[in-house]
Amino acid sequence: MRVRSLALFFSFVLLAGVVLAHGDKKHVIGTIEKMGADAVTVKTAEGSVDVKLVAGTTYIVVGADKVAKPAKLADLHVGDRVVIHATPKPDNTLEAAEVRFSSAAATAASKPKP
Amino acid sequence: MKRGTIILILLIVVLVAIGFVAFSFLHSGVSAKATPTSLEVMMARKARHMALPSAARALTNPVVASEENLRDGRLHFADHCAICHGNDGSCDTMMGSGLYPKPPDLRLAETQKLSDGELFWIIENGVRFTGMPAFSTRHSSQEDSWKLVLFIRHLPQLTADERIEMERYNPKGPDDREEEKQEDDFLNGATPAPKPESHHHHN
Repeated sequence: MRVRSLALFFSFVLLAGVVLAHGDKKHVIGTIEKMGADAVTVKTAEGSVDVKLVAGTTYIVVGADKVAKPAKLADLHVGDRVVIHATPKPDNTLEAAEVRFSSAAATAASKPKP
Repeated sequence: MKRGTIILILLIVVLVAIGFVAFSFLHSGVSAKATPTSLEVMMARKARHMALPSAARALTNPVVASEENLRDGRLHFADHCAICHGNDGSCDTMMGSGLYPKPPDLRLAETQKLSDGELFWIIENGVRFTGMPAFSTRHSSQEDSWKLVLFIRHLPQLTADERIEMERYNPKGPDDREEEKQEDDFLNGATPAPKPESHHHHN
């Protein structure tokens, strides 16, 4: 029992030190300029940004009715408006965690007519 | 092996471990940005396993896995747990990625192979020296924790629809709400577009 308690105590010593640190995701907002199988180029207000698409990337489409629904990569097209929540990687690339988009047609339909 | 020999070996192991920790602290301070070594991870899991009462480990979930209970657990998780663990249990969040040790991916075997009783005990009592708090004083009843256990079991099969629903229940501050509104407006055709990469996302 004493041996077990000692092992437990020193295991906790090894784990001591809980400090909150800052991590973040970046938002890439714009329209799809170019599409590849594993990356997209987004035309933003400040230039083009490449974002990698990975197996864990989730896709959400916002329709003309403004309702968010699950989507897939095949639903995403050049010209669509996107908001991508991306994780910065050590090699300075961005990896998409979530791609939220509205199709060009849906965006046009939601605009008030003159 | 004699008891004295066991204690001596244990003492040597402990001294080596303390030396390792001292070297680690001198090398990188007490920063939480580091990733625990495999030795620390292994010892932490062993310690947690040893610390869990065997009676708790054998407990079974008294809450029926109905659609309603699962939804209760899901929305509770979105409101209270997702800030560290993420809606999908991946722990890829600002809080989760900043902790030392980082919380485990709840979808993976290391968590899923724990018994219902172990998961319940961890939710109720927390885990010392990690970021996992004890919720027994916060939950209105033990049923809340059991519903969370149901949901943790469901995490590997979480659907996109469920995740979208959870996002509505994630706690958000005024800045996050404003940012979300701007993004929704942009997707719905508003102009001009917000500046790219201008905000930090907290989930």
